[in-house]
Amino acid sequence: MELGQMQGRLAEFTKSLYMEGILDAQFLQLQQLQDESNPDFVVEVVSLFFEDSEKLLNDIARALDQQSVDFKRVDAHVHQLKGSSASVGAQRVKNACVAFRNCCEEQNVEGCLRCLQQVKQEHYLVKNKLETLFRLEQQIVAAGGSVPMAEMTF
Amino acid sequence: MELHTDLADTQQKQKQHFHVLAVDDSLIERKLLERLLTESSCKVTCVDSGDKALEYLSLLDSQEIEYSTDLSSSPPSAQQEAGYMKVNLIMTDYSMPGMSGYDLLKRVKMQGSSWKDIPVVVMSSENVPSRINMCMEEGAEEFLLKPLQLSDLKKLQPHLLKSLVHPTEDISTSNDHGSDNNMIHDIALNDSDNLVSERKVMSPEPLERRPKINGLLVV
Repeated sequence: MELGQMQGRLAEFTKSLYMEGILDAQFLQLQQLQDESNPDFVVEVVSLFFEDSEKLLNDIARALDQQSVDFKRVDAHVHQLKGSSASVGAQRVKNACVAFRNCCEEQNVEGCLRCLQQVKQEHYLVKNKLETLFRLEQQIVAAGGSVPMAEMTF
Repeated sequence: MELHTDLADTQQKQKQHFHVLAVDDSLIERKLLERLLTESSCKVTCVDSGDKALEYLSLLDSQEIEYSTDLSSSPPSAQQEAGYMKVNLIMTDYSMPGMSGYDLLKRVKMQGSSWKDIPVVVMSSENVPSRINMCMEEGAEEFLLKPLQLSDLKKLQPHLLKSLVHPTEDISTSNDHGSDNNMIHDIALNDSDNLVSERKVMSPEPLERRPKINGLLVV
């Protein structure tokens, strides 16, 4: 695939992520904070996010698995996940966390387990999508091209 | 006007950037905040708790005492160094385990505190009016909602200016290329759009000029 095609593909793919609500404007902000002196900023932040979130999801699962569930603790983890997903622009993960917090308030284990599933799904989705995005970017750079500065033109 | 004549001067005095102490228990938030602040030409020190923040402030105090004992006889660079380390602004997350941002705010602002005059900005991902009021009443300069944007940092300009020891001295310009979001830029350019383009033309500064001393105190 030649460079122009790759760049087109990246643009289309990126656009779809925003259109589907998987990413929001905060991700764009991250891209805008990337420059020559911080060339890997987005990848770094996103990697931190996935490290962090995977741990949180495990902690949440463990907390929900207890004989007597500590909903405050679960809520605290979800709150953290909500915050970090908002900070990287992972909109659907964030929204799933908002719903999750409602379940925590209701102190409903079943409901919480369902919410956890939902969050995990969204998390998995955005992870795959971003991995694809970064791969596309790498291909372009490897082919000698540059990844255009992020902008929302739609 | 001062701006033009002092340009070379201020570039030399670039060292005198605002020093922000960022407090957040989340690594991601710290990284983001650090980037936002350096993009706005601030020197940043990150800590992950209120306790560490207080420790750091105390540490600076004791260092300052060391410097000031022979400040009069020391070379200008040393004097600048002492001023350089001083914290001009504290930005803290509200919800943190242990000492909350609110607790930290109270401690900094309390009667007799040597840090009373350092502006404190509280950040939170939750928009809770009572929380915001509480913080403002306790002396916070500003309450910012997360996730933070570059535009939010512009709101902090006046607070940083307030904390300058010598108000008439340089409004240090690190003149980043492409940074309309350079808050220090904006201070001087409030009134005139013309100045914007003038500045950029006058100083096509290379990145290296910007001091890259970001302290990231991570636990």
